[in-house]
Amino acid sequence: MTDASANGALLELAGVQVSLPSTIGPVNILRGIDLSIGRGEAVAVVGPSGAGKSTLMMVVAGLERVSAGRISLAGHELSTLDEDGLALLRRKHVGIVFQSFRLVPTMTALENVAVPLELAGRDDAFDAAGEALRSVGLGHRLEHYPDQLSGGEQQRVAIARAVVAKPSLILADEPTGNLDGDTGHQIIELLFERRRATGSTLMLITHDPELANRADRIIRLADGKVVSENVGALA
Amino acid sequence: MLSLALRFVRRELRGGLKGFRLFLACLALGVGAIAAVGSVTASLMAGLAGDARAILGGDVEVQLIQRDVTDGERDFLARFGRLSHVAELRAMAVKPGGADRTLVELKAADAAYPLIGTLAFEPEQSLSQVLAGRGAAIEPTLASRLGIGPGDTLSVGDVTLEIRALLSREPDKATGAFTFGPRVLVSFDTLQATGLLLPGSLVRHEYRLMLAPGITVPALREAASAEQPQAGWRIRAFDEAAPGLRRFLERIGQYLTLVGLTALLVGGVGVGNAVRSYLDGKLPAIATLKALGAPARLAFTTYLILVLVMATGGILAGLALGAITPMIFGQALAAVLPIQAKVGLYWQPLAVAAACGLFTTLAFAFVPLARASQVAPGDLFRAQISPPRRFPGWLPVIGTAAAFVALSLLMVATAQDRWLALWFLLGSIGSVFLFYGTATAIAALARRAGRPSRPLLRLALANLTRPGSPMGALALSLGLGLTVLVAVALIERNLDRQVNERLPERAPTFFFIDIQPDQAEAFDRLVTATPGASDLSRTPMIRGRVASVNGVPADQVKVEPGAAWALRGDRGFSYARQIPANARLVEGKWWPADYSGPPLVSMDVNIARGLGIGIGDRIGLNVLGRVIEAEIASLREIDWGTLSMNFTFIFAPGALDRAPQTHLATVHLASAQEEGKLLAALGKDFPNVSAVRVKDAIDAANRILEGIAFAVRVTAAVTLAAGTLVLAGAVAAGHRRRVKDAVVLKVLGARRAEVLGAYLLEFGLLGLVIAAIAAVAGTVAGWAILVFPMRSDFVFSLTAVAGSASLSVVLTVLLGLIGTWHALGQKAAPMLRDA
Repeated sequence: MTDASANGALLELAGVQVSLPSTIGPVNILRGIDLSIGRGEAVAVVGPSGAGKSTLMMVVAGLERVSAGRISLAGHELSTLDEDGLALLRRKHVGIVFQSFRLVPTMTALENVAVPLELAGRDDAFDAAGEALRSVGLGHRLEHYPDQLSGGEQQRVAIARAVVAKPSLILADEPTGNLDGDTGHQIIELLFERRRATGSTLMLITHDPELANRADRIIRLADGKVVSENVGALA
Repeated sequence: MLSLALRFVRRELRGGLKGFRLFLACLALGVGAIAAVGSVTASLMAGLAGDARAILGGDVEVQLIQRDVTDGERDFLARFGRLSHVAELRAMAVKPGGADRTLVELKAADAAYPLIGTLAFEPEQSLSQVLAGRGAAIEPTLASRLGIGPGDTLSVGDVTLEIRALLSREPDKATGAFTFGPRVLVSFDTLQATGLLLPGSLVRHEYRLMLAPGITVPALREAASAEQPQAGWRIRAFDEAAPGLRRFLERIGQYLTLVGLTALLVGGVGVGNAVRSYLDGKLPAIATLKALGAPARLAFTTYLILVLVMATGGILAGLALGAITPMIFGQALAAVLPIQAKVGLYWQPLAVAAACGLFTTLAFAFVPLARASQVAPGDLFRAQISPPRRFPGWLPVIGTAAAFVALSLLMVATAQDRWLALWFLLGSIGSVFLFYGTATAIAALARRAGRPSRPLLRLALANLTRPGSPMGALALSLGLGLTVLVAVALIERNLDRQVNERLPERAPTFFFIDIQPDQAEAFDRLVTATPGASDLSRTPMIRGRVASVNGVPADQVKVEPGAAWALRGDRGFSYARQIPANARLVEGKWWPADYSGPPLVSMDVNIARGLGIGIGDRIGLNVLGRVIEAEIASLREIDWGTLSMNFTFIFAPGALDRAPQTHLATVHLASAQEEGKLLAALGKDFPNVSAVRVKDAIDAANRILEGIAFAVRVTAAVTLAAGTLVLAGAVAAGHRRRVKDAVVLKVLGARRAEVLGAYLLEFGLLGLVIAAIAAVAGTVAGWAILVFPMRSDFVFSLTAVAGSASLSVVLTVLLGLIGTWHALGQKAAPMLRDA
């Protein structure tokens, strides 16, 4: 058990740096991030393009290795885990909602949502997936393939998939970026409602100030560093 | 994990065959080629084995050359079962009036013939009815050649035969697979009356036995060597029937299998391309699964199973294609070969073809599968998911190597000639390095060549050298196909040259056989007196067989495959005072013209090397049961291309002078009219002398070669078709990028002709590169095949190479342009909106 779980924080980042090699020398994307996010907290990450928001989300999900520093998620030190260990950690603790949905096109909505549970070896994967889809209002679309669904419906499926295994942490990367205004609002409502229902921590990347204000805390990144932290307007 | 992978595979399969059509076509074509060659060979071999007793004429055949068995020997054979006797020799048949004469294979049969199988005559009647008196049956080809039929007469030797029937089925015909003339079947009385059975005549007496119950072939052999050790006969069991035909089929089958394997390897490149292209489309799904917590090996396992499921489909399609080939071509083969193909399903060649398909799939799929499963899930946060390009890890590399090793072992283990298979494999590996290496080197050179000032030339070069350019794969696939084509074209050209063009200007017109020693001088006088006849050459010939080499029995001598024929069966030997004109002494000394001393022999240098012997070694020769030991005095290099007479073994005068012998002669005649005159004169005075027209023999060889060449060409065409498929697939895979390029270029003001020019340049360059490499590799392959396994010389033919190579350029440009024509017609707006 690490400090993060001891002091109630789900996620702890200390001195996190990410540098990627390039032909003109290493490019520093994250330059020493220190961050602590508590259980059940909703955090919005904002900042200009190239600030390092997506990279921050990737390192938190164990999809990208840090060059320096350490990350602790739900009591697990990410740097000590190999690729399979990270996959297991994501399976158990992390749900991700992508801007472009990222549904598997050859699977129905029900199968897409069931995947995390199937990976975990759950016998009730399809029952739970059906339940999750009904909770996002898609009970009538269980056997539809992604290309038979609208953009909003696809993002609902993605949210259902992200929360179905009741992860400790939901990562959402501009979840309304590919949707029109009304649909975007509905998706955000749904995301926060599901977060409340599951008690998960939410880490949300957005360019939308209104959306950011719904978070408990707003973290502003610029040039790979945290430049400010504000409490959001709404919880 | 396996059950989860299977579940994911099932979901993927719901998408149908999309993305796998090229994969399936490549695999089906390659496996189909191997399965077809294997099935046809197996059906012919099964036909041979199934009819083996009928082909041999019994359970066992006991053969003697030049002499019949003694009464004691006949009694000995009769102890073992039912006996039938046939005798065969070549003779001249003359149409009444003496106008038309032709070489025939004369066969006398006793009343017991055939012990097995059925004879069929047209019109239908019994053997005794046909052969009674001076009756005969003739093969339909002879009837049509001479314009005669039942009711007509035909002279052979001293008798006039009454043709009673056409011989429509002869069960043991395949025993002498390749013959110079059509069959004439007579009784022994008639044969005796022909006057052709003279001492030393090349008559083959065959005693066929249906063994009595409880008697085995080994028991017969044992008794024969114990009780009749001096008989000098050759005993063959039914499973040794038609050994020449069997070897011929096996050899041709193996060559075609190797060409088929090239098709599969070429198709393998297409398989690899198709898997890579399919998995590129699946990268977002794989990345998503990994982001959701799936380990990389789940993705690898899932898509490996999917590829294997698809491969099973392709392999099954290929097997079906291969399995039905004997059914489709069985009739055609029956018309060409003296045996009936036994149509059926042959599991062994199908299993070999299936295993080849499986190993090829694995060999070409492991690396793309490993690369795809390495996709970074972090890419899901980006607009584009790039295919991983880093080292795929040792496991897939080892897997690929293991699949290639398994494929190689399979090919070598199932090959008749393992050295040939091994050389083929080494050649294939060399070609892979050659094609990939050259393509990579050219790409590197083009990158370093700087930037051409003309933008469209720049685009063409950039397309060839950009990361992920299919040039390497295309060079390999189309290049391998064309290499086979160039090699086949060169081999064909060389064989044709040897059979037809290399004929010396004054090649003999006729070979005369069975001249009796006491006829020799009269024969010479008659030929010399014939106007237009020249270059008469005559030499004695003794039939015998090599009994031992340095005291080791011939059947125990270790011998290279190319020289094995010299120890097989009966051979012609000669003796001479002078070295023949078409031979050059390469080792040792030729004996003096007046030599008299212990037996000496001069050997063909290639055969001596194949037997591992040289000057001073000893050869034992069995002539009619008497073994003569001779010391090797010299080795000769023989130029068989002159078509003049020569012998592998030529003895010094003395040892064979008194052995039963006949003489062979060659004569050159200036015109067909003179040919007719000489034949007519010979027919009158020397009815026992047979004339083999050199042109007819060459035509017979040409017919066999044409059949083989056709089969090789068809298989090579399959290889090229596989290469074309790969090319078409690669062009299709790059189609979307080309459409984008075309749209952007058009937006920037390029005219359609200019864009077309860039593509023409790109594919023209690619075609030229492939053609150049294939020309070199095909020439090397053709040279190697001609010089080593075929032991022939090689002459480069620019026309053969240029013809095949230009096909490459035309094909590449044509397919490339067909694929990109559509790109030129695209409207810019929708593409720009999508982008």
